[in-house]
Amino acid sequence: MTDTVTKMAVINSTKVLPSDVIIKLYESNADVTIKETCFGVIVSGERKAVDELLSTARKMDPYGIFIKERGFAPGDVIRCRATRRGGARPGFHTLETEDKILPHIAQALKALDKGEVPEKKKQKKKLDIEKFKQIIEEAEVSE
Amino acid sequence: MKIFIYPTNSLILSDLVARFGHEPLAIMQEISKKIKTGGLDSPPLNITPEDPKFGLKYAAVEVPSGVRGRMSLFDPLLTQAGAAIIVRDPVISFGCMGCARTNELVNFLIRAKKIPMLELDYPVSEEDAREFVFRISEFLKSLKPAEEKE
Amino acid sequence: MNSTENLVRIAQLSCGAEYSGIQKEIDSAAKQVNAVIVYPEVDIKEIENIEEEFGLKVASADLKLMMSRAKSIVTGKVHVDAVFVATCFRCAEAAIVRSEVRRYIHEKTGIPVISYSFTERTTAGTLLTRMEALTTTARRKSLLARETQSGLTAGIDSGSTTTKAVVMKDNKIIGKGWVPTIKVLESADEAYNAALKEAGVKREDIQALGTTGYGRFLIGEHFKADLIQEEITVNSKGAVYLADKQKGPATVLDIGGMDNKAISVMDGIPGMFTMGGICAGASGRFLEMTAKRLGVEITELGALALKGSHKKVVMNSYCIVFGIQSLVNSLSAGSKPEDVAAAACHSVAEQLFEQQLQEIDVKEPVIMCGGTSLIEGLPRAVEELLKVKVIVPENAQLIGAVGAALLASGFIRG
Repeated sequence: MTDTVTKMAVINSTKVLPSDVIIKLYESNADVTIKETCFGVIVSGERKAVDELLSTARKMDPYGIFIKERGFAPGDVIRCRATRRGGARPGFHTLETEDKILPHIAQALKALDKGEVPEKKKQKKKLDIEKFKQIIEEAEVSE
Repeated sequence: MKIFIYPTNSLILSDLVARFGHEPLAIMQEISKKIKTGGLDSPPLNITPEDPKFGLKYAAVEVPSGVRGRMSLFDPLLTQAGAAIIVRDPVISFGCMGCARTNELVNFLIRAKKIPMLELDYPVSEEDAREFVFRISEFLKSLKPAEEKE
Repeated sequence: MNSTENLVRIAQLSCGAEYSGIQKEIDSAAKQVNAVIVYPEVDIKEIENIEEEFGLKVASADLKLMMSRAKSIVTGKVHVDAVFVATCFRCAEAAIVRSEVRRYIHEKTGIPVISYSFTERTTAGTLLTRMEALTTTARRKSLLARETQSGLTAGIDSGSTTTKAVVMKDNKIIGKGWVPTIKVLESADEAYNAALKEAGVKREDIQALGTTGYGRFLIGEHFKADLIQEEITVNSKGAVYLADKQKGPATVLDIGGMDNKAISVMDGIPGMFTMGGICAGASGRFLEMTAKRLGVEITELGALALKGSHKKVVMNSYCIVFGIQSLVNSLSAGSKPEDVAAAACHSVAEQLFEQQLQEIDVKEPVIMCGGTSLIEGLPRAVEELLKVKVIVPENAQLIGAVGAALLASGFIRG
């Protein structure tokens, strides 16, 4: 049995549009199924071909294209919104939330490639009890 | 190395693990296997009543069927995990990750394995994200690289 | 159930169904009543804000999704005819959300809604009666609005323990039949013939026939019934008719031979309801076994129970096996039969109270019906537990047959 896989490339980029990526993917003439979606593209086919194709596509904007595997093939009638009568599949909302933070992740990846080491953040500690008492007392006085 | 990620359906974690040369263990792979299993007809995920029964391996019968069914999906991921990256307060994720009780159990089981583990907070700012990505990169560098696939 | 009837859109608000392996069963039950399951559209912003808005904080994201979907229905963002709320059995967090979501939709929209807690063993068969009742209330509003029986009609209620039949004419019962269910068709024939005989009419004179109960499909087909209907809607109608409480709220309780129904009714139409059916210890069967053990007829058990006190007998199990064992032990320890009879009634009532009445809003009048309501000790025990007056209307055992005969008169042509 050939190892077929479906992967999604979420595009959150200032450089490339999903349509640019689609053209690039089609140019390869690889034996895969390609589908443009609201968040990027879905590619389905033999694992090796899909991985190679997506890694080439990612070079268009390494910081703006994020890839993960997907359980369902593109347009699967069971999960497709068009045939599922109503709301999105549950995973869509997860993707929506993660998409919001992608620009930060992109900046972080850029910084990493430049060899920048981020400062270690100070852990927030609970307020010292004496300090807290002092604040309460001050608040009482000002009333 | 095969890296367990939590949330197991996270795009960001899945992407970063693969980007840094390891293999993410994502729940999507298990869903894919399920729906490709021939002879089963239990849409949408092809989880059948046999799955919650299999889940008895992890939780007793008084634990809800939805938890046990989900555990049957998580089983191969827990078994294969060589290391783990856990996000402590992830964004809300639905479906396979939509049940808090399952998530608690999965979190416990992965900790109980005593494998190399990185725990992080979900980034809310660019500054957080930098530390988030840096720490993941350093953690993954410290592990053996993924074996080359044929 | 008629496939030519309008397609009903049922919104599914659930957590865990796909992972319990029973989504297919839900879809299948819906399909059998010519309905489709739909998933109300929500957007991520709404899900993020729903806990604040709804006022209920939960850890599981799928429960947040449930609340958001409920809001989509209430605000009219999506149009659905009915709602099915379901979560895993034994999940406390989900049970709270399930109950509040159901109440929210019921109070804000009046759209029929049912709730169910499933396990991996839930089948389409178990869900069918519930789905049928749900779609009927959504689909047959005008039929269910009927308050009087007209013409010459009959109703047969093929129950798990007994089969009941009535013949009605111009809003009056003119013939009755009540026999034990042995073979479904033969027992139905026997009950129907008895009712026809008493009424002094022939089968061919009957203008319309309705069937209900477990055997409704089989006998409905056999007698070419005009209406084949599950017992939730039929019993609601029958109860408010017999008790003459057609307008406003009512609660209908029916402890059957195999399962119990608790229905919250408004203007004779079921709103929320629960059907219990897992434990025989909470059914008429338990009382039948008690009567047998006490050496009295089931018809005498109720009067006996009224003379006794349940407090004098220790029962530490609800189970039909262990519960009966407790009763036997107390008899051999010198308990009086009347106290044992009272304890048995109390046990059944308590289970109904704990397992089913928590799921619906109990509003007065509370009407008890079905054969078990004639066991006087039982309505008394329910009264004590609920602290309300319980009405047992005349002919309460015939409720299903009466409801079916009444609704069937809507099918008289010309």
